[in-house]
Amino acid sequence: MDISTFQAYAYFFFTAFMVVVLYAYIYHLYSSQWKGKRDYEKYGDIALHDEITDQPIEHVSQNDDKK
Amino acid sequence: MFHWLEKHPFFFAVAVFLTIAFAGLIEILPNFAEASRPVIGTKPYSTLELAGRHVYIKNSCNACHSQLVRPFKSETDRYGHYSLSGEYAYDRPFLWGSKRTGPDLMRVGNYRTTDWHENHMKDPAAVVPGSIMPAYTWMFKNTADIDTAYAEMLTVNKVFKTPYNTELPMADGSKATVKMAATLDEAHTDALEEAKVIVADMKDQDVKDAVAAGKIPEIVALIAYLNSLK
Amino acid sequence: MENRPLEYDYTVAKMFMLTTVLLGIVGMLVGVILAWEMAFPAVNTIAGSGLAEYTNFSRLRPLHTDAVIFGFTLSGIWATWYYVGQRVLKVSMAESKFLMFLGKLHFALYLLVVVAVVGSLLMGITTSKEYAEFEWPIDIAVVLVWVIWGMSIFGLIGIRREKSLYISIWYYIATFLGIAMLYLFNNMEIPTYFASGGIGSWYHSVSMYSGTNDALVQWWYGHNAVAFGFTVPIVAMIYYFLPKESGQAVYSYKLSLLAFWGLMFVYLWAGGHHLLFSTVPDWMQTMGSVFSVVLILPSWGSAINMLLTMKGEWQQVASSPLIKFMILASTFYMFSTLEGPIQAIKSVNALAHFTDWIVGHVHDGVLGWVAFMIMAALFHMAPRVFKREIYSKSLMNTQFWIQTLGVVLYFTSMWIAGITQGMMWRAHDEFGNLAYSFIDTVAVLHPYFTIRAVGGTLYLVGMFLFAFNMYKTMTSSRRVEESELQNASPMGA
Repeated sequence: MDISTFQAYAYFFFTAFMVVVLYAYIYHLYSSQWKGKRDYEKYGDIALHDEITDQPIEHVSQNDDKK
Repeated sequence: MFHWLEKHPFFFAVAVFLTIAFAGLIEILPNFAEASRPVIGTKPYSTLELAGRHVYIKNSCNACHSQLVRPFKSETDRYGHYSLSGEYAYDRPFLWGSKRTGPDLMRVGNYRTTDWHENHMKDPAAVVPGSIMPAYTWMFKNTADIDTAYAEMLTVNKVFKTPYNTELPMADGSKATVKMAATLDEAHTDALEEAKVIVADMKDQDVKDAVAAGKIPEIVALIAYLNSLK
Repeated sequence: MENRPLEYDYTVAKMFMLTTVLLGIVGMLVGVILAWEMAFPAVNTIAGSGLAEYTNFSRLRPLHTDAVIFGFTLSGIWATWYYVGQRVLKVSMAESKFLMFLGKLHFALYLLVVVAVVGSLLMGITTSKEYAEFEWPIDIAVVLVWVIWGMSIFGLIGIRREKSLYISIWYYIATFLGIAMLYLFNNMEIPTYFASGGIGSWYHSVSMYSGTNDALVQWWYGHNAVAFGFTVPIVAMIYYFLPKESGQAVYSYKLSLLAFWGLMFVYLWAGGHHLLFSTVPDWMQTMGSVFSVVLILPSWGSAINMLLTMKGEWQQVASSPLIKFMILASTFYMFSTLEGPIQAIKSVNALAHFTDWIVGHVHDGVLGWVAFMIMAALFHMAPRVFKREIYSKSLMNTQFWIQTLGVVLYFTSMWIAGITQGMMWRAHDEFGNLAYSFIDTVAVLHPYFTIRAVGGTLYLVGMFLFAFNMYKTMTSSRRVEESELQNASPMGA
């Protein structure tokens, strides 16, 4: 297999793979919201409540253990 | 999986990098071997031409002049045969340019002469009425850097095997050899010989005197380079 | 010490704000000089024919592009990073002596590089590759600056309180990675002094790639330097500053995430559109064309998201000049990301390439989108960094309208100039001969070059108003309380 054939295959499969991943990501974003696992929209508040005295939307590490 | 990625900055960065790097891998790397084969008739630059090329670069001539003839009738009518990949095999860096404020120069050596360039570089509007190109008077005073040109010649010969001192086939079936001097002094002598040929067609007395005294003004090197563009 | 509450530390942000304003003025001033030189060539010798070498169009042109890209824009990116980064990660730079030191080192080295670049470009020391003109010693310094920034990003992320990375951080990370990869590969060069055993000038180098390959790498770099310098980090800014200033959360956070991955995937493929009809392989040219068109989707994803963020709050656009700047910026973003793909279509490109239309496209992107967003970001930061209200709201409004007029004059004149010249180049008479000599196609552009120069000058006037407003804000404006800084920035009359 010469290099240009390889390029063409690599290109095709990677593009197909990326499209699948992208759609899976869309599904993931919405399904976590339906299932109530995680509402992604809450992260938009990170910009709004960004004083150093504000509570983080999600704490690093500690909170994970408590859940 | 997605959420995990969003929370782990290191792996997130890796994922981003892979996504953006892939296009480069596919598009750029595998093409390298193919595109750099010279077409018949392409020669590497001589010392003086290289020095002239450096003058061209130093003054960003490529900011206004392209060196790329596209395959359209209007362009081949105006500038000559459209460009072939192999014609650029010895161009490091490439000088295609991105804007044609002035005309293309890919084959300017075919239709402009030494004295045309001399008058034009001194006062463009006197040669081409209405020209908006500035004059390049300092090129008549500054001395061309032959040392650096020779250093570059040695480098490309050593690292990239650019064929100096080698017989190369020309389009008309003849052979041509571009010389690389063995020492720096010899390179200076060779460049001066080349310069004398150019200066014979020039009128500027200061430039003639400089070359007679063994110095090569930038304009002479530049014209040598422009004449080599065919 | 212990009793003082923890605060964000904006020392480094302030430093970069200063260079943003200064280098913005320098870069645009040089641009205006260039514009007048094209309209009236006598301007080339404005400082006398003895100095013509240094005031001449071709010597100044790389200085203009590099001052705007690596001076103004990059400073703006870093000024906002050292501000936004702390806030959305909820960690202060005062908490880490090491990061503070890195930040200051970052700025000091950057200043050194700026001085070296300005000096070397004026002397004509250049590799000729657009936006990568610097010779190898400067390249090494640039890489060092970049590595320090990377350490600063990941260092700050390492000590963060907020677990999730806000979308702006994603974009800053992508900027860092993208430019690092592109810059390294495009600047592969061999110093001739060392390879030849000590002959010639020590700073000269020769490119590792030749001819067509060199062009391919250069435009892969050139296009994506625009992507990761003029798009990605500016999107990072607008995702933070527009919601914060308007008090409205991003319209759809999910859409912002999707647009991010879409942009990352598609952008790099589009570089080939700079080389249509050249000697690079055909399939690459076609792919460059196709992906350029696909690129509209993720670009508009972000831009529409921004406009929808203002849903129900459009009265703010009328009342706040700061919001005006940002809304106009995202409108120009939509506009130039539509214009770009149109130019990348092969038949359009055949006409537009090498003409002033391309110059027009670059400038509606940079003046309309990049510069407006950076100025808006600085306006938003100023009251919070200096603890004073913005000096004058009416001055902001004046600046906004002067600069908007400037941009409009700029791109409309360049459209007409580009299309006119492109059509004239290809015109044949009834016998099949070329209808116009080259100089005919230059002479006809004079009025458009003049209009463009006027547009550019107006924009520069706006820059001076901006600098004055910022200076007054910093030194003599009314002091404000913390409580006034929640959302909309406080402004004096």
